[in-house]
Amino acid sequence: MKKSVTMLLSLFFVASTLLAGCGSSNDKNTANEGNTAANNKPANEAKVSDEPFEITIRHTQIGEAKKFRLAILDDVVKKTQEAVPGLTIKLDGVDSEVNRKEKLRGEMAAGKPPEVFDVFGSPDAELYAKEGLMLDLTPILDELGIKDKFSDLGPFTHDGKIYGLPIGGSIEGIFYNKEYFEQKGLTVPKTLDELEAIAEKVKADGKIPFAQASKDAWIPLMTTNNLWSYYAGADITYGFKSGETKWTDENMVKAIAKHQEWVQKGYFKKGELGFEYADMRNQVITGEAIMMMDGSWANSVFRDPAQAGEMVGKIGYFNMPPLKEGDPFVVMQDSNNGYGFSSAVGEDPRKLEAVKEFIKNMWTDEMQLRGLKEDGVLPAMKMDLEQMKTASDDPLMQDIFKAVSEIGNAFPAFDALVQAEVNTALGMGIQQIIGGEIEPQKMLENVQAAQDAANAASE
Amino acid sequence: MNKALRNPVVYVLFILPAFILFLAFFIYPVFTAINNSFTSWNGISKTVNYIGFDNYVQAFNDDAFWKSVRNNVYFILFSCLIQVPLIIIFSLLIANVKKFKGLYKTAVFMPSIMSTAVIGILWGFIYNPDFGLANEVLGLFGVSPIYWLSDKNWAMISILITNAWQWTGFYIVMVLAAILSIPKELDEAAAIDGATGVQRAMKITLPLIMPIVSVVIMLSIAGAMKAADIVLVMTKGGPAGSTDVMATYMIRYAITSFRHGFGNAIAVLIFVFTIIITVLYQVLIAKRTERIEY
Repeated sequence: MKKSVTMLLSLFFVASTLLAGCGSSNDKNTANEGNTAANNKPANEAKVSDEPFEITIRHTQIGEAKKFRLAILDDVVKKTQEAVPGLTIKLDGVDSEVNRKEKLRGEMAAGKPPEVFDVFGSPDAELYAKEGLMLDLTPILDELGIKDKFSDLGPFTHDGKIYGLPIGGSIEGIFYNKEYFEQKGLTVPKTLDELEAIAEKVKADGKIPFAQASKDAWIPLMTTNNLWSYYAGADITYGFKSGETKWTDENMVKAIAKHQEWVQKGYFKKGELGFEYADMRNQVITGEAIMMMDGSWANSVFRDPAQAGEMVGKIGYFNMPPLKEGDPFVVMQDSNNGYGFSSAVGEDPRKLEAVKEFIKNMWTDEMQLRGLKEDGVLPAMKMDLEQMKTASDDPLMQDIFKAVSEIGNAFPAFDALVQAEVNTALGMGIQQIIGGEIEPQKMLENVQAAQDAANAASE
Repeated sequence: MNKALRNPVVYVLFILPAFILFLAFFIYPVFTAINNSFTSWNGISKTVNYIGFDNYVQAFNDDAFWKSVRNNVYFILFSCLIQVPLIIIFSLLIANVKKFKGLYKTAVFMPSIMSTAVIGILWGFIYNPDFGLANEVLGLFGVSPIYWLSDKNWAMISILITNAWQWTGFYIVMVLAAILSIPKELDEAAAIDGATGVQRAMKITLPLIMPIVSVVIMLSIAGAMKAADIVLVMTKGGPAGSTDVMATYMIRYAITSFRHGFGNAIAVLIFVFTIIITVLYQVLIAKRTERIEY
């Protein structure tokens, strides 16, 4: 009998341990809050509101290249915590790709995203907002009076409501080795033909004209996207989703053929399909490659002695030139990455207050200028070019400011305008083009097929 | 003790915790996946549309899917035809060395305790076209540089070699344990009768370790069918999807494209294909090698 009792007791012990392990931390918190609330019943309302509470900020500022951006976030967190009694902000740093494609999606599927999270405007935020998982920021922005201060909230706007705020803006263009250009008597090209002539000279000199790493398809697609925006016009991308324009347009074929021609001519390093993003920058830093198509955000790497070594101060920047001299510069410019907020925040006045305070502290002229100065991220809020120029006297930043001032026609990156599955098909297609497996016409037919399927599914 | 275990209620209570966990973490997800595979669910929406077998039809009509299935088959063939014989040879060699047996065992086991991410980086260096060990060594024989992970003709074999390197040691230790458990008398009797080392290995040891080799093959097949991590860290399924296996195909075409219904259909297909192959293996091959009597 004693033995059976002991066994039963041990069984219950094991079972209860297991069940306790299955309990979620949220439940525990709720339970604790419940107890605290019960204990504090006689206390007045004001005291209850001083109770400690926590919000989590999911950010992607991890690694050496993002240390300045993290420092800005840290300062905003500190200010916000000081202003809101009882608030503790927990920072949760996750790699950008992992957050975007795995972690945040999983949390969204479960309906429990963190209170504040790094998010891409389109198509991600739009989808989450449609499902009612994101907080409508419109009243907060009205209250704070900053709604009209942003350059472009388009990617974060759904049905006229704003669901997220971009942290910064960016343009895509060509970084180049200024010292090499000077030594060889090369000048910044005014047309695409001139750019190709430079590439030929660089190649003849035994160097790689363009650094490239195509293991991730979005990297070579920066070049392709700019090429097709010149050949077929930047507006063509807007029409793919609505069916007004086709990927198989003859000018699109010309653009893809141009990219393929550059590959075949050896303008990129052989084996680019196996290289990571960091390898591409290293090709420039080591002097192996002379030019590189990348986002303006890469300036922080070339201005940091720890990362760029002796190449600091030797790198310049220009926009990809137009087909004909004097034509407007067509440049990718967007602000698609920023912070979004869980709709659950709206149900808790104290958390809502914390979020308001966070927005108030994060999106200021001071912070935008600091981001520009320390991190080289272009402001997401409207700012006079002259004011921007005062933020940094670094020659590379001055080149980027000049490039911004030269933009004749800006377009958002293609992935903000087409469905995710089209992005996948396009990524596959460009890798096939680089690998010499497919002709441009056939590749674009495949992308159009994916586009048609995606359009049909969304109807 | 016996009295307690004779009581059915106690039995049920003992089974219950494990059964609940099994239901929650295996049965429920499997049925949810099957259910979701008939929908066009985007992974987030609360509204779910049932679309019948459309996801399966789409997968079966997609060349890229069959390419990924073919790569899974390569994984299985490489495991069974190259890796397993190597495992047996190395196990026999290590079992018969007189000195440093522990050192050899530890050395071959090491890769299997390393994380796949670390192995991916390590082999990334080995396969580097500019300064990688593989090209350096081949260069000594006048072979021009090979773009291991960038060239679709080499990328898959590069992954297979790395995967084999990671897991061979683990299986060697398993087989080694089987070899060392064979009674010494059998080997000695054969030696006295004049059998050579090779004859003893082929006629005595090998037949006696076949059950464990069978388990190794089963585990290799199951591992090959669910392979994903090594592909993701080495090539991300590239170049241009040439190293995609079913699991990475699912990530590329379904999960990252907000098509969870389609993703669940692929997951179900992986599950079904794995069951079919393992059942076939069990019925056709493994059953014959199950019983060993000394």
